[in-house]
Amino acid sequence: MRTLLLWIEATSLGHLMRESGPWTYAIVNLTHVLGASALFGSVLVLDLRLLGVWSRRVRIADLATVITPVAIAGFLVAMTTGAALLATKATAYVDNPFLLIKFPAIAIGAINAGVLNLTRARREARVRALTTRERRQLAVFGGVSLTAWATAITCGRMIGYW
Amino acid sequence: MKKVATLVAAFMLSALPAFAHHGWGGNEDKISEVTGTVTTGVSLAGPHATMKIKDTQGRTWDVTMAPPARTQQAGVTEKLIPVGSTVMVHGHRNKSQNNYEIKVTKLTFNGKLYDVYPGME
Repeated sequence: MRTLLLWIEATSLGHLMRESGPWTYAIVNLTHVLGASALFGSVLVLDLRLLGVWSRRVRIADLATVITPVAIAGFLVAMTTGAALLATKATAYVDNPFLLIKFPAIAIGAINAGVLNLTRARREARVRALTTRERRQLAVFGGVSLTAWATAITCGRMIGYW
Repeated sequence: MKKVATLVAAFMLSALPAFAHHGWGGNEDKISEVTGTVTTGVSLAGPHATMKIKDTQGRTWDVTMAPPARTQQAGVTEKLIPVGSTVMVHGHRNKSQNNYEIKVTKLTFNGKLYDVYPGME
């Protein structure tokens, strides 16, 4: 773990973060928060729908059309700025338990979203009404997503308190 | 709709404590002063400015100062203190006695006092 963090810190990204003025970290941090909020805010709406909220008024397919690109953009912004924040002083986080929970949570959230988009129910939602079983299946994806991203954000915020 | 709003509000409230800026809970309330030789110069990067000093007993301290812009405002720049110079730092050390980490509010170098957290003990 220490070796990995040392390597991240030594990358050119780490150097850039450390050598480009006292406001760099703050601005990259702000961008990270904007990315994470775009991701979480958009995903929260879709997850609530998957869990059954607004089920009579909004179609999953329509909601996914607008939410997916916003969520992906937010994820990419958060991921790149997050790497830069970590690279600044990576070794300072060597014993930080929140970091160790945060990364698996992100992985679960991302894999869950990927698998969701491959499911039959998710594809069929575009063309026909779903069966109860399919709706339950999608609700599970919504629940996992909400839990994973909320955990990732909570841990991210807590890193500085350790 | 009301049900949804309540759900979202409850969810956000549960995350509220996370919005307060982080305190110095892991550090002592009382003031400690450490005099040492600078081994790693001031870095104005990251959430807080940092440097490392070695005290007379040979222990290396991780010195954490204010956020970079504020530290610079107090006159502490990356070029101010050469490695090998003697400084005295004033602040709150880590509660764990075998963790040589100190969050400093003031720093003395070359006979001059730098107040990196004005108004704070």
